[in-house]
Amino acid sequence: MNVISKVIELKDIHKSYRIGDSEFTVLKGIDLQIEEGEFIALMGPSGSGKSTLLNIVGCLDRPTSGQFLLLGQEISQTSDDELARVRREELGFIFQTFNLIGRISVLKNVEVPMMLSGVTREKRKERALKLLESVGIAHRINFSPQNISGGERQRVAIARALANNPKIIIADEPTGNLDLKNSNEVMKILSNLYKEGRTIIMVTHNPEITENCSRVIRLRDGRILENAS
Amino acid sequence: MNLPDILEFIAVGFKADRFKTLMSSLGIIIGVMAIVVMLSVGEGLYSGVSSQFSSLDLDMIQVMPGSAHFGGPGSENANRNPAEPAKFTDKDTKVLENVVGVKNVAPRSSANVVVAFRNTNSSASLTGVDPDKEEDLKDEVAQGRFLTGSDYKSIVIGDGVSNDLFRMRITPGNKIRLYYEDRYMDFKVVGVMEEAEQTSFGGPGSDEDNLMYITHKAMEELKGEDNYYYGNFQVTVYDPEQVDSIIEKIKNDLKRYHKDEAYDATTARDMLSSLMSVLSMIKYALAGIGAISLLVGGIGIANVMMLTVKERIREIGVMKALGATTRDIRMQYLLEAGVLGMVSSVIGIVLGVTVSYLIGSLASLPSAITYQSLVLGVLFGVVTTTIAGVYPANRAAKLDPIEALRAE
Repeated sequence: MNVISKVIELKDIHKSYRIGDSEFTVLKGIDLQIEEGEFIALMGPSGSGKSTLLNIVGCLDRPTSGQFLLLGQEISQTSDDELARVRREELGFIFQTFNLIGRISVLKNVEVPMMLSGVTREKRKERALKLLESVGIAHRINFSPQNISGGERQRVAIARALANNPKIIIADEPTGNLDLKNSNEVMKILSNLYKEGRTIIMVTHNPEITENCSRVIRLRDGRILENAS
Repeated sequence: MNLPDILEFIAVGFKADRFKTLMSSLGIIIGVMAIVVMLSVGEGLYSGVSSQFSSLDLDMIQVMPGSAHFGGPGSENANRNPAEPAKFTDKDTKVLENVVGVKNVAPRSSANVVVAFRNTNSSASLTGVDPDKEEDLKDEVAQGRFLTGSDYKSIVIGDGVSNDLFRMRITPGNKIRLYYEDRYMDFKVVGVMEEAEQTSFGGPGSDEDNLMYITHKAMEELKGEDNYYYGNFQVTVYDPEQVDSIIEKIKNDLKRYHKDEAYDATTARDMLSSLMSVLSMIKYALAGIGAISLLVGGIGIANVMMLTVKERIREIGVMKALGATTRDIRMQYLLEAGVLGMVSSVIGIVLGVTVSYLIGSLASLPSAITYQSLVLGVLFGVVTTTIAGVYPANRAAKLDPIEALRAE
């Protein structure tokens, strides 16, 4: 049996930024363990450090100090190329502003992560079509992302996040730019992913959507305030 | 990320920004075209002139007063020539005739004169010759005869003087009057030379056709100077292979009489090679002008690439978040510049060849398209754009994904 049930382990994570002569400490000692298959909601007021924490967990940023194990691998000191590999293969990103590439089609957008991993043309097209179908966008594959609605864009983004079949989904306010109907749609898809056994870490402002989550972590002023299941 | 995928990405970008792509490639297209055209015209000039001179007699040495080099900054005699030009006399003819290997020595002198024929005046070049030493010229007479040693007031004229200088043709038997400074003499035309071989540079009425020949005796009389000197010697040798060593001997032997005077002995080959080196300089100078426009094109590409990177900053952030490495991004933008350069260069080559061809056929300017100029054109085009792409590509590759994602 594989015993790495902890997909993420953070030990005493600090993060500070230097702006001019002054130093801002954003994270002041974060200890956090996330098990495989959890659906985490990360909440907190602006400036609490939740975005910074999400960036570190998403391997877009490195902690100033502390230990960060992702799937058992020490990440905090690894190379940029290795971080890129982890993002490409182990993580899937969903952004508040969707961040689809406007000049290529919906289908190509979903293919991008597989393209970066060197998946062959036929295989990645086949998988992209399947994923787009599963999020209900099969009829829009040849559209430019600029010509579809916000809800559709976010569903394309979810399909893209799943392209390389990652263990962990990083979602930064995925419903922040959506109306209620589309928010519910997106949350339904995320819940289904959770039920399939994927680990989801989601930053949100909206307490209503946390009811789908298995655990809510509240941050304030760079520390974990509450860690409630 | 593998090559076909990157290329597909680039192609999509070009298509989306057709106008911007066209405008940025225009600089390279024009630059490459300029290089090809300039090199072709230069090469045409070069080969045109060299084919013109390849028929020059290689067994001929010219001995003349002063320095005969074409000058030019690299010329060896350029600076050490303060001496008076040598004054050549019959003594020198003897000296030259005594050099081993010399077949014939033809002393010549020249003057620009005004020709009067039936109350009309025109100018032509006059050469004083020793008829006994000019066997070659005797073969080129078309009408009448060449001069003989006993001729005095007889003249042989070139085809141009006969046909083109005056309204009326001058034929053997006609009398003409020559003016030199404030003196004049009447001559009787005894012969007309053949028309000189047509050249693309001169054509009818070239200098060679406007020549006239009289004896040294008449020349001395016409010039009326106290001392008559030869202008130069046309020395023919038996063996063209030995021309260089004979030149050395000639220079040495003449030292006896012309210790502190300047003189030189050269062959047509010498003249040809210095002329060729000048032409080759001109050729590359022309290409240099083309290269400058290419450089400007390169700066244009760099500018457009910087703009592209700035425009796509968010896309670059997304690509990085999705796991693109620094290398992936760098390759994408470097290749984008490179492909732009390649396509533009090929278009530039096609246009350059067309323009060179048009120049060659319409303006009757010599132009020769060489393999070398095409390769140079493409090479410079691709290298310039790729170099222009390096900085923007590195900027893109080194973007921090978090900041790039935050960009508007």
